Amino acid sequence: MSNKSLNNKNPREVSAKKADNEVKTTSYRLKCAKTANGLSHYVMYGDVDKKQALL
Amino acid sequence: MERKGLSYFNIDKLENNGLASDSQSQKNQVLLDADNVFWGITKSNNNSDALISRELLSLYERVKGKCDREMEDFRFSTELTAIYIDPTDLCNADCPYCYVPVKTRKYGRSMTQEELDSILQKIAKYFAGRPKKAVIIFHASEPLLVKDIIFKAIERFKNNFYFGIQTNGLLLEDKEIKFIKDNNVGIGISLDASNAVLNNRLRFSATHGGNFKKVIRAIDSFNGYEGLNVITTITKLNVRNLPVLVRLLHKKKVPCVLINPVRLTQKNARFLKPDDKVMAKYFIEAVEEAVRYSKTSKHKIIIGNFANIILGIIAPTARRLMCDISPCGGGRCFLTITACGDMIPCGEFIGLREFRGGNIFKDSIDQAMASEPFKKMRSRIVEDIAECDLCTFRNICGAPCPAELHAFGNMHKKAVFCEFYKEIINYAFKLIAEGKEKYLLRKEGFANLNYQYKLESDGLPSNRQSHKIG
Repeated sequence: MSNKSLNNKNPREVSAKKADNEVKTTSYRLKCAKTANGLSHYVMYGDVDKKQALL
Repeated sequence: MERKGLSYFNIDKLENNGLASDSQSQKNQVLLDADNVFWGITKSNNNSDALISRELLSLYERVKGKCDREMEDFRFSTELTAIYIDPTDLCNADCPYCYVPVKTRKYGRSMTQEELDSILQKIAKYFAGRPKKAVIIFHASEPLLVKDIIFKAIERFKNNFYFGIQTNGLLLEDKEIKFIKDNNVGIGISLDASNAVLNNRLRFSATHGGNFKKVIRAIDSFNGYEGLNVITTITKLNVRNLPVLVRLLHKKKVPCVLINPVRLTQKNARFLKPDDKVMAKYFIEAVEEAVRYSKTSKHKIIIGNFANIILGIIAPTARRLMCDISPCGGGRCFLTITACGDMIPCGEFIGLREFRGGNIFKDSIDQAMASEPFKKMRSRIVEDIAECDLCTFRNICGAPCPAELHAFGNMHKKAVFCEFYKEIINYAFKLIAEGKEKYLLRKEGFANLNYQYKLESDGLPSNRQSHKIG
């Protein structure tokens, strides 16, 4: 529907129409800064709290 | 046939029974580069044609090279970070699907204190000078049968390593539990069902009937200990019980459970193979239970292997388990030392003699890592496996497990449970689209992750757009 055809519409209808047409895009990537035990590969076992972990 | 670039697929809106909804009020579509796992999720509120935003394509162009390099490094790095040690071949249980051959469990040998200490000395020397401490995990068959030698070893080497123990729990009494907690040892306890009748069919023991009572008592004693995991093996007998089991474990304050399909490496396990679709349905229901508890209760229960899939998507190089990437972690990130000192890429190879890379009592770890069996493991990549080479999820699934597939005749085949993995990865994308990933990871784990890049575009007219890139 072109913008011209919206010109005579109720503003609420226009917003609703635009909301209907909304497209939301998400993309991200995370990286491990450090883990509780400092390993990037930690097999199966829970991370023991770093402050309790032995040095 | 090489296939590089972006794939595009819909995430179906799943009803509670796992069936796709007939009507979709919202479309979630995923753009995914299967090689570097760059992804973008597009949500639209109507039935218009699919749209890929310019911002997403621009971001992809900007970051794809870095993502490629990171995945390459991650997949092919040979930095050992963990060593599994099987201090004894023997077991006091007789689980029908066990991957350790029966003869080994009944008649095998146990290490002496001197042998174990010498192994740990050798490993300590190998890891000397590295910034990170390695993890030593005492594993199959039942390490607590020689608990005296492993507890002494933990005391002796506590400054060199982080320790973990995988056990069926039959020998876990208060004294052992106290030692484990006092020494910050990670502990994995096997439990397959929420009730004794079902569990003990699968975790059978001639002396105790089964491990249910002992394990529940031990879990109560651990009382939410951070280092506790429960390990559940999915078979056709317990698959429908998974959501109920998660409910029980949450009640018992278990922080993490790993719920893995049975490995069919040994023939006796194949009679217990669950159906892929049924397994996916109940696994997803178990995850939904866990998400519900994360949202509504004081403490979370994490399904560790599913959390790993989520990480495989949102933070590929931060994943913890290495079964769902190729090459897998066996003979690359970790190796196993058997009770007689043989070094094999992973415990799953214990019944497969041709995969021995050396013996710790006479060979070095470096020699094992450079051996032909270990190299063979590290050369198994999804790009060389028919169907996997074209699969969009190939670097989120990894086609597990090479030992299992080798036992079927050829490790260069797709996963035995391929359809299951496809369903749960699709489901993982659905949860990410719904913003639920925070309920699936440990709070501390999430807190340790930083954004490499982030795009959130709300599709509003350009003068009102809000998006961050970088």
